Amino acid sequence: MILAALLLALNLADAVPVRWPSVDLKTLELLAETPVNLLLVDRAPASPAFAEQAAARGVAVLAVVRPGADPAASARSAVSSKLAGIVLEGEFPPSAAQAVREAGLVAIELSPRSAIRFDPSAPVIGSYQGVWPGIRPQTRAAPTGGPWIETNTGFLRFLRAATTAPVWIGNLPPPKTVIPAEAYLQAICDASVAGARWIVALDDGFSARLLAREPGALKDWRRIAAQLQFFEEHKEWRNWQPYSRLAVVQDAGSGAMLSGGILDMIVTRHMPVRPVPVPKLTKEALEGATWAVNVDPAALVPAQKEALVAFARAGGTLLNGPPGWKFPAPRDNQITLGEKELAQIDGIWKGMNSMIGRTNLGVRLFNVSGTLSSLLGAPDGKRVVLQLVNYTNYPVESVTVQVLGKFTRARLYSPGNPVRDLEVYSIEDGVGVDIPQVAVLAALVLE
Amino acid sequence: MTRRELLALLGAAPLVSAVDPPAAPVAIARATSYDGDLTAVLATMFDQLGGLGRLVRGKTVTIKLNLTGSPALRFQGKPPGVTHYTHPKVAGAVAHLMGQAGARRIRFVESCAAGGGPMEEYLLDSGWNVRALMGAAPGIEFENTNNLGKARRYSRFKVPGRAYMYPAFDLNHSYEDTDVFVSLAKLKNHETCGVTLSLKNLFGITPASIYGDDAGKNEPNENPAEGRAESLHLAHRRISSSAPQEVNAAHSHDAGYRVPHIVADLAAARPVDLALIDGIESIAGGEGPWVGGLRLVRPGILIAGTNPVATDAVAAAVMGYDPRAPRGTPPFRHCDNTLRLAETRGLGTTDLARIEVRGLAIARARFPFSA
Repeated sequence: MILAALLLALNLADAVPVRWPSVDLKTLELLAETPVNLLLVDRAPASPAFAEQAAARGVAVLAVVRPGADPAASARSAVSSKLAGIVLEGEFPPSAAQAVREAGLVAIELSPRSAIRFDPSAPVIGSYQGVWPGIRPQTRAAPTGGPWIETNTGFLRFLRAATTAPVWIGNLPPPKTVIPAEAYLQAICDASVAGARWIVALDDGFSARLLAREPGALKDWRRIAAQLQFFEEHKEWRNWQPYSRLAVVQDAGSGAMLSGGILDMIVTRHMPVRPVPVPKLTKEALEGATWAVNVDPAALVPAQKEALVAFARAGGTLLNGPPGWKFPAPRDNQITLGEKELAQIDGIWKGMNSMIGRTNLGVRLFNVSGTLSSLLGAPDGKRVVLQLVNYTNYPVESVTVQVLGKFTRARLYSPGNPVRDLEVYSIEDGVGVDIPQVAVLAALVLE
Repeated sequence: MTRRELLALLGAAPLVSAVDPPAAPVAIARATSYDGDLTAVLATMFDQLGGLGRLVRGKTVTIKLNLTGSPALRFQGKPPGVTHYTHPKVAGAVAHLMGQAGARRIRFVESCAAGGGPMEEYLLDSGWNVRALMGAAPGIEFENTNNLGKARRYSRFKVPGRAYMYPAFDLNHSYEDTDVFVSLAKLKNHETCGVTLSLKNLFGITPASIYGDDAGKNEPNENPAEGRAESLHLAHRRISSSAPQEVNAAHSHDAGYRVPHIVADLAAARPVDLALIDGIESIAGGEGPWVGGLRLVRPGILIAGTNPVATDAVAAAVMGYDPRAPRGTPPFRHCDNTLRLAETRGLGTTDLARIEVRGLAIARARFPFSA
């Protein structure tokens, strides 16, 4: 109970979770000088010593339970091991989380995407399903092509807009694959720039080398920790809101829960976007937007339709999906769009693209092939942060940023480097800033 | 008599010229890095060619860059300027020298891949510092020639004499509204044409709005989003009927025949006044990242001349090729030799014995691309 209280005191919004490959006490030493404060272990340790020593370091421990196990029995075991809670990873009935809570433990549900419950009392909203972020190899090379980036950001942005709870994604690295440290950094950034958290999960080979204290693995672990630390040092950005004149109205059933959906499509084109979940669609939710895409008109109730009509009457441009156009609800284990759905999205994308053209919806970015971005505005309305994630294995150089609005100062933050002031110059509808280089992550704060 | 008037006059002549095609000096210089003093190197080269002032003073200069393929495509993650694009520092140094030599206006042009937006944005997407380039000389402009651009009509350029492929081309006004036309190319192999130098660079002056795979059937599509593979390369699709059609209704579908012949027609229709080839860093094995089997190369040279055929002949020799090689021999294994086709049209000589090389000798500059 005390350890559960520790977890609650920790505030799950500040939790930095890692799937931990061992309950050997000595492995806790690897957490020194890292921001990691929450371990997910595959089974409850036999004695309470692991959880106690972890707690002494300010680290809580959760046991992961998967379908087939008895949540109530797992909860009893976790209590005897003095764990703080249980992670229910997979599809469980609502009663499973209830059983865990009744044992005095925290219950976190990592559900299939198709079965996420937007329970307002849930301490975390999350899924174990995600794509492994990175550049998808080209199947057909052509002079007019460009790299496609696998990302969970569209899904995570939608979740962040749909709930006030912390959002976690718990996908694992691909099996039997050599994964460079940069890929872990990209996975952390992919979730973090969407205001969510990736539950750090090291591949088996890396885990073994880390536990054996191999120098290379220790070096990579320190890089991962530094990346996590960077986001902890700028945790306020997590609560800043999307800064964009483009709103995308979408409900959970219309592809918003799937990678490769309309939000990813927009973001891979380097357009900032403001997701508006259908239940939150009001006139106020569209304030500041000049463009709105209504992905699934059939999903709206009259009051929501009225909000869109009011938006259009006030001068906003509204693009509706074609009549009768509807995404199929995500199937059991579906996490990405199929070819047919992608073709549907392509249709709506082409219409949107020709409508929007070169309009600056918040930011325009140049020379950002292989990167994704997130533009967020501070609650005071005076600052924005543009986070750029580089998914290639090479530094991206000479990025040009054109941001809407009047800003006079630009500071560049990147992990392991001192903060750097950059020149701000005026352009037609805002300001321009040139970023010399982006390794894995660069955050540009304009004020 | 201007070059165009001369070419028009030659148009009355048969396709195969009876007189020796013109020869002109070509300058080669060593430049091992883009961080070196390219302005000084290029100034020396222009002096070796007779001086830049006589060519550009008081004139409008149009510089066709080679920015082939989407800027999003990178070879090994490198900036395109060190692989398959003309490097921005070469462009900046050339503009600076032209400004110093009294050029009234310098307009950079390219038919930017799969788009009709402003060229400045395309350059930004390629990692160019457009603001710095604007400061290289007075009167710098940019125009994406992939569509109508800033004009109200296309300019029609007739191919003098009997054309190989097209009797005339409808091009962006920039190619007409200029006194001096510069082809600022890259020293590269080309999958279809064997090599791409100052002549092949001209393929990119054709607007995709008319010659592209999504060109309008009867009129230009001012928002092109495709390349020219299905239309110009393979003739699987007709160009817009608003432009003069192919002379041979039988339509060869062999890109290795079509592209070199089209380039030779273009070189005749829109003559090049200054050919410049950036061979400081490049790629071998193809023209862009979409071609398999590429490798990075550092030939460390710049090549310039006032005759594009002679300049390309010297460049091909520097690459380790016989510029007069027939089809079936490297680098023209599966294509006709663009240089020879241009020579046959009377545009310039490929005979190295007739070309005076100034600066670095070919033997010292040689960097075999097929190694």
